[in-house]
Amino acid sequence: MSFPSASDLNATWSYIQPGLEFILGAQGDQGVTSKMYMNCYTAVYNYCVNKSRHGATATSIAASSENNSYALAGAEIYNKLDEYLIQFIRGLSKEANESFLEFYVRKWTRFTIGAGYMNNVFDYMNRYWVQKERSDGRRDVYDVNTLSLLKWKSEMFNGNADTLVSEVLTLIQKQRDNEIVDTSLVSTAIKSLVFLGIDTQDLKKPNLVVYINYFEHKFLEKTGEYYSRESAQYLQDHNVVDYMKKCESRLAEEISRSNNYLEEHTKKHLLDVLHVVLIEEHAPEMYAQFLTLLEQNETEHIQRMYKLLYRLPRTLDPLADTLEQYIKDQAAKALEKIKAASETAQSDGKPVKRAASGAVDPKTYINTLISVYNQYNDVVVQAFSKDTRFIKALDNACRHFMNKNCIATPTPKSSCKTPELLAKYADAFLRGTSKESDTVDMSPDNLMVVFKFLNDKDAFEEYYRRSLAKRLINGNSKSDEEEESILQRLQEENSIEYTSKMTKMFSDMKASEDLKSSVKEHISESVVKDFNPLTLAQSMWPFNHLADYELKVAPELQDPFDKVVEIYGAKHNGRQLKWLWNHGRAELKANLARKGKPPFLFTVSNVQLMILVAFNKKNTYTFKELHSVVGTAKHIFEAHLLPFTKYKLIDQSPVGAEFAGNDDTTFTLVDEYKSKKLRVNFISAIKTNETKTEEDEASKEIDETRRNYLSACIVRIMKSRKTVKHNELINEVLPQTLSRFQAKIIDIKRVIDQLIEKQYIQRIDNNTYEYLS
Amino acid sequence: MSNPKVIVISSDDEKFPVDPKVAEKSLLMKNMINDLNPDGLQEDFEIPTPNVRANVLAKVLEWCEHHKNTIFPDDDDEDAKKSAPVEEWDKNFLKVDQEMLYEIMLAANYLNIRPLLDAGCKMVAEMIKGKSPEELRRIFNIVNDFSPEEEAAIRRENEWAEDR
Repeated sequence: MSFPSASDLNATWSYIQPGLEFILGAQGDQGVTSKMYMNCYTAVYNYCVNKSRHGATATSIAASSENNSYALAGAEIYNKLDEYLIQFIRGLSKEANESFLEFYVRKWTRFTIGAGYMNNVFDYMNRYWVQKERSDGRRDVYDVNTLSLLKWKSEMFNGNADTLVSEVLTLIQKQRDNEIVDTSLVSTAIKSLVFLGIDTQDLKKPNLVVYINYFEHKFLEKTGEYYSRESAQYLQDHNVVDYMKKCESRLAEEISRSNNYLEEHTKKHLLDVLHVVLIEEHAPEMYAQFLTLLEQNETEHIQRMYKLLYRLPRTLDPLADTLEQYIKDQAAKALEKIKAASETAQSDGKPVKRAASGAVDPKTYINTLISVYNQYNDVVVQAFSKDTRFIKALDNACRHFMNKNCIATPTPKSSCKTPELLAKYADAFLRGTSKESDTVDMSPDNLMVVFKFLNDKDAFEEYYRRSLAKRLINGNSKSDEEEESILQRLQEENSIEYTSKMTKMFSDMKASEDLKSSVKEHISESVVKDFNPLTLAQSMWPFNHLADYELKVAPELQDPFDKVVEIYGAKHNGRQLKWLWNHGRAELKANLARKGKPPFLFTVSNVQLMILVAFNKKNTYTFKELHSVVGTAKHIFEAHLLPFTKYKLIDQSPVGAEFAGNDDTTFTLVDEYKSKKLRVNFISAIKTNETKTEEDEASKEIDETRRNYLSACIVRIMKSRKTVKHNELINEVLPQTLSRFQAKIIDIKRVIDQLIEKQYIQRIDNNTYEYLS
Repeated sequence: MSNPKVIVISSDDEKFPVDPKVAEKSLLMKNMINDLNPDGLQEDFEIPTPNVRANVLAKVLEWCEHHKNTIFPDDDDEDAKKSAPVEEWDKNFLKVDQEMLYEIMLAANYLNIRPLLDAGCKMVAEMIKGKSPEELRRIFNIVNDFSPEEEAAIRRENEWAEDR
C-alpha cells in the first residue's frame, strides 16, 4: 500500500481514517498494529511537511494573517479530525440491555485510550502546527487529546449530563442502602467529569468546574436529604447511644467512599453537610441524653458523644455548660447531705468529733469537695480528652461550689468558711498529735486542689498561719519537711509575698534555736533543766501581748529570763522584747508521790507554773496572798488556778465554786497526790473565751489586711495615672485583688473615702479622682 | 523471552534489531511502544519507518546507540539548549556530506529525536556563521535571483549588521 499524494488532503484523510477507526475502537476491539500506527503518523507527517515546504496555505483556521512570512500546515487536517470526532461520537449507540451509565462508561473508557493513541499519531501536527497556533494566541486550537475530550464533552456529555449524574447518584444511594453495586461505574463516570474540566486558557491547570457544577452540588444536596431522612427515622426507633454509633459508622463509610472515588475537594463539603444533618440537627437529643449518661457514669458513651460533637466544635459549648451546671448541682447535693448528717448526729446527742457548734467536720467537708472534683476531673480527662472547654467548665463549677455552698456560706451574705475549714483540715494532718488512721485520706495534694479554687486566698493564709504558729511554738508539727514543702507549693501557686509572713516564722524558729543554745551555756541547771525561749517577730505571728497576763516571775526562775533579754539585747540593739505569758508552757517535776514511787510530771501554763512554784515556800495561801505573788489580772489567775482544785492537787477551803474567788479563801497543796497517771496536764482544763476571740481576731485581721491591700493598690494606680475616673479605677482594682480575694465594690468605695480623708487623693468632679502628691 | 528487541524497519525493508532503550531515544517510537504494549514489551516488536532509508536509519540508530544512557536536558529549557555547544562526539559523527546531514536531520524530525535534530541544526548554523552571501550561495548551491538594484537595496538596509 503506497502513501497518498502528500498534497492531496482528501486522499490523505481517506488513507488515515480507517486507522483511526481501529484506534478509537469503531471496529470492535481489534488491535492496532504498529504498521497501521506508523502509516497514519507518516501520512500526517507527509501532509504537514509537504504543505509547509510549499508555503501553500494561509487558510489555517483563523486568518493567520498575510504578514506572516511563513505558515505551518495543519489547519485542514485538524478541521478534518474535528469533524470526524463529532461524527464518530454522535455515531456511538447504546445497547438495548444496558443503562446509560453503563454505555457511557464503556464508551468513555475505550474513547480515552484511543484519544491517547491519536494524540501520538498526530504528534507531528501537535508538535508544530498546534503549538505555533497556541503560542500565537489562538485559544481554540488544542492538542489532539484535549480536542478529543472537548468533543466528547460537547457531543456526548453536555446533552446527557443530567441522566448520567442522576444514574450515578442512584447507584450511590443504593450503596448507602447496603445494596451491592458496581463501584467502578461510579468512579469512572466521576473521573470522566474531572477530565472534562478543561481550562481552555491554560490546559495544564487542573480544573474541577465540570465536576463541581454537574456532580458535586447535586451529590451534596442528595446526601443531605438522605441522611436527614435517615437520622430522623433512626432516632424514632432507637435510643441516642445507638444513634451515635450509627453516626460513627455512617461517617466512616462516607469518608471511605469519598477517599475511594470522590475528589479531595468534595471531602470537606461532604463532611460539612454530614456534620450538620447528622450532628448539629440532632444535638438537642444528645444534650438531653448527656445528663443521663453522666448520672450512670457512662464514660465510654460520653466520650462517643464528645467525639461526635467535636467534629463541629460549636456544638460543644452547650455540653460544657450542662456539665458545669451538673457539677454544681451534684456538689450542692453532696454538701447538703453531709450537712444534714452532721446536724442529725448532733441532735441525737452523740458527741461529734471536734464539735464546734453546728459545724461540719473540716475533714468530711474538704473530702467531699475533693471527691466531687476528682469524680468530674476523671470525666474531663477520660471522656473529654482534657478539652479546654471542659477543663474550664470544671474549674468554673469548682470555683463556684467550693466558695459558695450551704456549709461555707449558710446565708448569702456570710463570708465564706472554706478557707477556715481548709486551714483546719491542713492542721489536722500536719499536727503530730493526730492519729495516723484519721489522716490517711488527707493530703497536701487535696489541700492544693481546694486552694487553687479559693476566692479568699488571703483568709486561708490568715487561718493557716495561725494554726501553723501554734504548731511551731508547741513543737507538734508532724514533719518540718512537709510543712516547708506545703509552703513552697503555696508560693508557687500564688506568690512570694503570699507566703512571706510564714517564711519569716520559719526563720524565727531557726534563730530561736541559736538563742536557746547560747542561753543554755549561761544558766545553771539546778532549777531549770531545760529552757526553750522563742523570739517571734510581732507583725508576722498572730500573737498579741496581753496586759492581763503580766505576771511576776518567781525569783528562783528569774535568771534564765534575764539572760535571754541580755543576750538578745546584745545581739540586736534597740529591739524590744515582750513576754507572751499567755503562750508557752512548762513541765515540772513534783515530789508529791507516795514514798518509793517516781515523781509526777505536770504540764502547766506559765501562770500555773508560778502558782505551783510559790508552794515551794509554804503549803497554804489565802487567795489574796497567792494572787499577789503571781500577779496577772484576777480573772486570769482564777482561771488558771481552777484546774488544780478540780484535779485535787490543791485543796480549797471553804469548798465550793462560789468561794473560789474570795480574798480569804485558803488554798493548800496536798501532801500526797493521788493521781493514777504519772503525767498530768493542767492546761487543757483552763477555761477562757480565747477560741472565740481568736476567730474574731482572725476575721478582723483579714478585713484590715484587705483594706490595706486595697488602699495600696488604689494609691499605686493613682500615682501612675494622676487622674482617673471612678469606674476605671474600680475596674483596674478588681482584677489586681483576684489572686487574694474578691473585693466588693462597697469595700473599695470605703477605702477611697478613707484615702480622700487622709488627703492622698481628692475628688475633682462627681466622677473623677486626682492624686495628691 | 528474556530481552525482547525492537526491530526497526527501513523504507527499503532492511531490519535493524536494537535494544528498546535505543529505539526509545525516538519519542515517536517510545510513545508507540507504550501505546501498543500497555503491559510492557513481551516479545520482539517491529516498527516500520516508511520515510527513512536504510543508510540514514543506520546512522540515526548509531547515534541512538551511543546516547542510549545520555540524559538530555528538559525540552522546556530552550535557553540552555540554544547556548550549549555541540558535543565533540556529535560533531565528528555529523562530519558527513551535506546530503547525508540533511537526511539525518529530516529523519530526526520525523522520528522526533530532539537532541539529534538540535545538533544537526547547530552544525548548519556553524556552516553559515561568518560567511558572505556569495560563499553561502556556493556552499548551499543557491542561484542568485535578485536583480542588482534589489541586492543593493537590501545591502543598504542591512548595513548595520555588516561585520566591520
